[in-house]
Amino acid sequence: MTTGVLGQLVRPVLRALPRRALGAGAGAGLLLAALPRLLSDDPDQWTALLVLRGAALALALGLTFLLDDPARQVTVAVPTRRMLRTALRTALVVPLAALWWTAVVLLIPSEIRPPVGALTLEAAAAAVVALAASATAVRLTDEAEPGQRVAIALLATSMAAALLFPENWGLFAAPKDKWWAVGHDHWAFVLAGAALVWAACGPEPVRRRRLRLIPS
Amino acid sequence: MTTTVSAAGLSLRYGSTHALDDVSLRLGEGVTGLLGPNGAGKTTLLRVLATALPADSGAFTVLGHDPGTTAGRQAVRRVLGYLPQTPGFHPDFTAFEFVDYVAILKELTDRGGRHREVRRVLEEVDLSDVRGKRIKKLSGGMRQRVALAAALVGDPGFLVLDEPTVGLDPEQRMRFRELIARAGEGRTVLLSTHQTEDVAMLCHRVVVMAGGTVRFDGTPAELTARAAGRVWSGTERDPAAMAGWRTGLGAFRNVGDPPPGAELVEPTLEDGYLITLDGMAAEVAA
Repeated sequence: MTTGVLGQLVRPVLRALPRRALGAGAGAGLLLAALPRLLSDDPDQWTALLVLRGAALALALGLTFLLDDPARQVTVAVPTRRMLRTALRTALVVPLAALWWTAVVLLIPSEIRPPVGALTLEAAAAAVVALAASATAVRLTDEAEPGQRVAIALLATSMAAALLFPENWGLFAAPKDKWWAVGHDHWAFVLAGAALVWAACGPEPVRRRRLRLIPS
Repeated sequence: MTTTVSAAGLSLRYGSTHALDDVSLRLGEGVTGLLGPNGAGKTTLLRVLATALPADSGAFTVLGHDPGTTAGRQAVRRVLGYLPQTPGFHPDFTAFEFVDYVAILKELTDRGGRHREVRRVLEEVDLSDVRGKRIKKLSGGMRQRVALAAALVGDPGFLVLDEPTVGLDPEQRMRFRELIARAGEGRTVLLSTHQTEDVAMLCHRVVVMAGGTVRFDGTPAELTARAAGRVWSGTERDPAAMAGWRTGLGAFRNVGDPPPGAELVEPTLEDGYLITLDGMAAEVAA
């Protein structure tokens, strides 16, 4: 039954995706990645690092809207589980996001391009944090479209993290910094932690505290 | 009455507020009205019965299915139609596409059969002519009917309707009454509303809630009878009355404990409802 539902759901779910928000995030990211070529004849590696991180954040902000569902209340009590619908939305977006990231990276001139693997880990972590935050908002509130609030919270948290996190955590280190390697260990932890939170928010709970069963 | 939906001891708290406090009820086929003031717990009860919100304690069954397990909840959802208080839509979908989308979510996977079913429910709610129109171009009343069609698709045995006539003009409300009356033929419908006229015209049974508890459970005639001998007409508003207003004919209609010699008039369902709520207020005051 699930396979049949999934196949039939692809088209309407594609149509229901928050294309405007996702497009805005992706567009802003591409624009940011193009800036070094557009604005300078001799861009440096620091600028490239900054715009790649900015692009990753822009996409993450767009992804906070992925789970927005204006029809949430109408579809809250259908037998097809929310987790399945969320997974389908994500699965439809992931290949496009991968293509987008490839384009973003290729926009950076190769001579100043930071290590792609490490930056991809950062981008993936930011994306999964965004999705985990959205899933948490969906799980804990009745809001149909929590994306905007989550995006603001994510943006504020990113800014605060960049300003306040100790340098030796290395989350925003440059490739030549001594904290670069340890920073990417931390990014891997962030990615894993966010994935766990996301997975935990997937199932809809059957009971709030304790549902006492009566004999039928 | 054959019981189709049975709830026992449902309780749910938001912080220190008892949204539901030991609610028990049994429903059978036909339309049951759920009346109550704002904050009475009507929407919470409907959301619990629609499996949209788990209760803190208590249990219920719907058409023999117990939603206390994941599998049981799925089974309940397969026989359920739910129209929420504020239905939302994907505005770029057409009416047909939206109901079709909900039909897929209700596991109607045979495309041909599903499309026939979607056309049937759109016909039932009188939206066949605009089925290809985008939802954002439809009026409020038409959108409400799209939501009702989405609830009806798949021919659910238990229909939960949360204030479906709110915000509709009188003509649209009449049309909705027809739809709900038809929907109540052969299935169990629980209708939450603030409109006592809807209950009087549609329901074979009425439940009054206040403060998260059931204050009355009986027929509309029994609720009306609660006000027998407690509604009188006069030339002015009686200050001792719990409610009183000037009618279109100029006389005052008073509800409460009539003074000796008062000119008693026939009570309505609304009078019975007011008396029931006043009884609760008196209990709280005591």
